[in-house]
Amino acid sequence: MGRRELTAAISTLGLTKRYGSVTALDGMDLEVHAGSVFGYLGPNGAGKTTTIRLLVGLLKPSAGSGSILGHDTWAERELVHATVGYLPGEFVAYDSLTGEQYLSYLAHLRGTVSWSEVDLLAKRFDLDLSRPIRTLSHGNRQKVGLVQAFMHRPRVLVLDEPTSGLDPIMQREFLNLIKEVREAGRTVFMSSHVLDEVEAVADTVGILRRGELLVVEQVEALKAMAVRRIDLMFDREPRVEDLQGVPGVREVWATDHSVRVVVEGTTCHLFDAAAPYGISNVVTHEADLGEIFLAYYAEDE
Amino acid sequence: MFSSVFLKTLRDQRRSLIGWAVGIVALVGMMAAMWPTVRSMPDLNEFLANYPEALRELFNIESLTTGAGFLNVELFSIILPALFVVFGVSRGARLVAGDEETGSLEVLLTTPLPRWRVVAEKAAALVVGILWLGAVLFGSTWLFGELIGLELTVGYIASATLAMTVLGLEYGALALAIGAITGRRALAMGVSGTMAVAGYVLYVAGEFVAAVEPWQVLSPFYYALGEGSVATGLAGVPLGHMWMVLAALGAFALSIRLFERRDISA
Repeated sequence: MGRRELTAAISTLGLTKRYGSVTALDGMDLEVHAGSVFGYLGPNGAGKTTTIRLLVGLLKPSAGSGSILGHDTWAERELVHATVGYLPGEFVAYDSLTGEQYLSYLAHLRGTVSWSEVDLLAKRFDLDLSRPIRTLSHGNRQKVGLVQAFMHRPRVLVLDEPTSGLDPIMQREFLNLIKEVREAGRTVFMSSHVLDEVEAVADTVGILRRGELLVVEQVEALKAMAVRRIDLMFDREPRVEDLQGVPGVREVWATDHSVRVVVEGTTCHLFDAAAPYGISNVVTHEADLGEIFLAYYAEDE
Repeated sequence: MFSSVFLKTLRDQRRSLIGWAVGIVALVGMMAAMWPTVRSMPDLNEFLANYPEALRELFNIESLTTGAGFLNVELFSIILPALFVVFGVSRGARLVAGDEETGSLEVLLTTPLPRWRVVAEKAAALVVGILWLGAVLFGSTWLFGELIGLELTVGYIASATLAMTVLGLEYGALALAIGAITGRRALAMGVSGTMAVAGYVLYVAGEFVAAVEPWQVLSPFYYALGEGSVATGLAGVPLGHMWMVLAALGAFALSIRLFERRDISA
């Protein structure tokens, strides 16, 4: 308990949101440790945005509760807002204002923003603040959204699809920023459907399906548990039955001297069993989060 | 300009406030300019005698022979009440519900500013906007009255202007409240607009039909047009205005309370 209280930047307990008979989020229990990056994965409509809007106090939980840095996301939302930077999934500013006017408005309302930080972020994202927001491309508007989320140097960042609309260079810049934020001990909760970017920066990922949090795991551990495809070439034709019985092996296809296996977790038993036939070559298809992610969805179908 | 929600909201309205002010000045000027022609109609009284009794009562047509009476019929009975109500309703509906529908409210409500304060500052900007139009109406009525010689008293101008202002405030507050409670701009405009028409019909019907008369007190128009100075030319603030201001404050308070407790739609 003590450790949890010390280190959880974001925690939810049975957090639930229902709309009539539809359950958008069902009893989510989650802890995101301070100083870590949490990647929140799930297809569209799984409830990612609902979760995020609950965390920033725009929605009232139907049941359960959430807290950020010890403050209840609904009852103490003003305290939450003071420490959180939020980027909505569909960021909308005021079209008639320039980026500078818009950010200066928000900075005044927050009262804790140093303008040099705004300039720094704008420069970093190559964003022209003097242009009216209505003349900006989708990607440049998204940058305005990112600047407003980061400009008060919040201890917790809650970002809904942050790289949406950004070109690859800016995506990389964004990921660098996330890494810096984590090094500074700040916490990031970001949803995404771009698995590569989550894999690149997240310490922990959660996978959501139809309002249910299926798994929360360290990225490395998840990859270790992952299902992998391995192609083995042999000197002598192996007995397929020998390989099929190996722990962790799920599927085996054999053609002459080559075998394709699908393995879950460790591969050492597989190689023990395969060695007697003289392995001449091994091609492993490294599991990425995408495959893990899809596997979680496939299980259900 | 951007240091508070109040100032930002006023700034958003600046073009509209200037446009409406120009329109009001033009309208008042045009009507006032017609006065010398109407006054010099030789058979005006004969002409008016042909009007149905009820119409003469409703618009207080006998007094068409004075400058104040003329303005009551031409401006303060239908056109100006409608303009102030339309301004109040369209602005009020936009302030919270409009921003919520476009999505720009999302970030604003995740600043440390409490929700009640966001609504309160927007409401204050609405009130200032309507007061501004009231002041423009007062100024232009006085100016053209002097220029063209309508022989208006300052008391008359003040109370007629106040009646319009309070009407705009009343329905503007209603639209803001419905918008803040439901988050839907079209609904806020529709319901407030319908309530305005209903209020007007109730007031007019009460003038014609004895059975409806007791219900007139429910209509804001009764206080603005009937009891107030517009019809009777009384100087001073009719007590009925207090009810309307209280109703507007009540609508603000209720909307703030419910806005604090509801989900913001994405």
